[in-house]
Amino acid sequence: MSKLFPVQEIGSLPKAPWLLAYLRGKKVEQADLDHVRKWSKMVGFEFESEVLSTLGFPRNSDGEKRLRELASIFALRYLESAGLDYVYDGEENRIEMYEHPVRNSDGFEFYGHVRSFDNRYYRKAACVAKVAFRKAYHLDEFKLMKQHARRSIKVPITGPYTIADWSFNEYYQQQRREDFKDLQKLKLEAKRDFVIDVAKQIIYPNLTALVEAGAEWIQVDEPALTTRPEEVPFFVEAFNECTKGVQCKLSLHVCFSDYRLLYPHIMDLKNCSQLALEFANRDDDQRGAYDQLKLLNEFGDRREIGLGVADVHVDQIESPTVIRDRIEYAAKILHDPQRIYVNPDCGLRTRSWDIAYAKLSNITKGAELARQAVS
Amino acid sequence: MRRLKFTGLHGMVETHLTGVFSRSERLIAATRAVARGNLKQSEVEPILQEDIRSLASLQEESKLDAFVDGQLNWQDLFRPFTEIFTGIESGGLTRWFDNNTFYRKPVIARKIAFSGSGLQEYFRVHLLPKHGRKKAVLPGPLTFALLSDNKAYQSFSDLVDALAHSLKDVVKALSGSGYECFQFNEPCACEPKRTESELETLRHAYETCAEGNSLIHTYFGDASRAIEALLDCPVNGLGIDLYSTPLGSLKEYDLDKTLGCGCVDGRNSLLESPTELKEIIQKVQADLEPPDLYLAPNCDLEFLPHPVAEKKVRVLSETRKLLSEAP
Repeated sequence: MSKLFPVQEIGSLPKAPWLLAYLRGKKVEQADLDHVRKWSKMVGFEFESEVLSTLGFPRNSDGEKRLRELASIFALRYLESAGLDYVYDGEENRIEMYEHPVRNSDGFEFYGHVRSFDNRYYRKAACVAKVAFRKAYHLDEFKLMKQHARRSIKVPITGPYTIADWSFNEYYQQQRREDFKDLQKLKLEAKRDFVIDVAKQIIYPNLTALVEAGAEWIQVDEPALTTRPEEVPFFVEAFNECTKGVQCKLSLHVCFSDYRLLYPHIMDLKNCSQLALEFANRDDDQRGAYDQLKLLNEFGDRREIGLGVADVHVDQIESPTVIRDRIEYAAKILHDPQRIYVNPDCGLRTRSWDIAYAKLSNITKGAELARQAVS
Repeated sequence: MRRLKFTGLHGMVETHLTGVFSRSERLIAATRAVARGNLKQSEVEPILQEDIRSLASLQEESKLDAFVDGQLNWQDLFRPFTEIFTGIESGGLTRWFDNNTFYRKPVIARKIAFSGSGLQEYFRVHLLPKHGRKKAVLPGPLTFALLSDNKAYQSFSDLVDALAHSLKDVVKALSGSGYECFQFNEPCACEPKRTESELETLRHAYETCAEGNSLIHTYFGDASRAIEALLDCPVNGLGIDLYSTPLGSLKEYDLDKTLGCGCVDGRNSLLESPTELKEIIQKVQADLEPPDLYLAPNCDLEFLPHPVAEKKVRVLSETRKLLSEAP
């Protein structure tokens, strides 16, 4: 019998402060050096001296490349040390989940910033030509992880719907301009064209490159998926296109959404064996958030669940017993503990290194308590 | 029901902006620096003023018919009202409709009242050209109430009523400072989940807050869902999002208000062809026969990078020019 309630990461961790200082050309502060020393000891990071030595030199391209690699290995050790069964690099090597794939693919152009909220902004690209594959933009980081990981690897990759939804759609709308008198139809059909092309032209070759290099599990991240409920079928079509013939385990991560909007559409996903979902953010003392798992029973969805048991937006550390209770509650609803993996709700990049580590450690402790409880 | 004509129109097609304009890269850099503690808020003020003047010049050059200040220091549609009104606090981040953008949910902690503070901060009429009409953009009472967390009023309609009264006070105060028309943004009115009771509340609210030359602007949804209630509201104009509202769905209605045509897409950087827009507007005129018309973006232009937003203003202007030249 395989291990019950394996623990997985979902994606991003905060960027290592010493990496940020170096990339921004800032003076490396004592606090940055202390961070390297403290965490190297805590997580068994074997490249402490190389990091400190690299930080001692002015910024240069070789140093930047190597320091990014070292930050990735550092995050890997951090996740392993917290006790996770499935690990990656905390996306240390990526700009962020949208800009990284878009900057490394063809057909996009950045015009400037738009506001996310308050005084927070992001660069939003316009699709100005038919999208095209330029390079397998996660291959180098995957090879690095494969070389250094002591646990199993799961690769997170931004999905086609989110890339399209977070971009301006110029090219595909222009292609359908003959429909200009029916503006609703024009926008909707152009969006579908865009999503499907991102899936075929960009995501599919990235997935196959990762599998050829040895990836055994890839998680497709789609935070935008339920933004426009009428477009969920586009995603299903796109997911099936980009995973057609891809020979590895594939899962889907969605968060902060009304999961009812996914059904029944996602029952048509042909190559997806797990849904990793956020729940802890909306939980209460009665475990009410996890009642949404009944949706899976309602639609006969027998896939694995990546169960979000820790809220990534608050510093409060969930206790191992709360995490155990959440897992047990979910197991009762699903009638099958074997289908449950355990994870934070989403990437932990907005938490501090201390808080994220405490949350991850308690997830592994809570999963162990749950194993004992059901065995 | 009162049916008013939108003053300022004389059988011509007009052109307006509808709300929050895109911040320039310079203003973005400054506000980011403030957020990171590297710049004082007071140091942003000259940049903000310069950008408002620049937007005013763009509107003048483009021969727009009602000037807006672009709301460049509004963090979202409701935030200024945590200062202008008493009783409202700023809550958690919440997705802004179907955008990758967020607002802070207003928390109605106590009974609301107009305090008057912050008006000059958030309505910069003195930076707009001396000539021409000035338009103030406000949250509509229905949308304000629906997107708030009500902890102070017994019923939803009580909250809408309180907001309508306080917004009326804002309109009165702004009328005295030089604003001549008032746009209420009501994106929630066209959501599919609206109930008849909520739409009835909308009608009552505008009996209270619609003062002088006012209009309701709807976006992100099909206006036909709420068209009867919207037409009953005693306002002069009604703006609709042509990217969300099929024209055919409005054909059977007697549009006796000035129709705002949200024909420039504030959520896509693709520049519309003025020639194509002219054809669309001519179809609107032929099919819906509104008494008057103004061209506008379908929603705020803040969803676009600043250079693109500026180009969209010029598209509006060019479209109006083509329409005025058309036989």
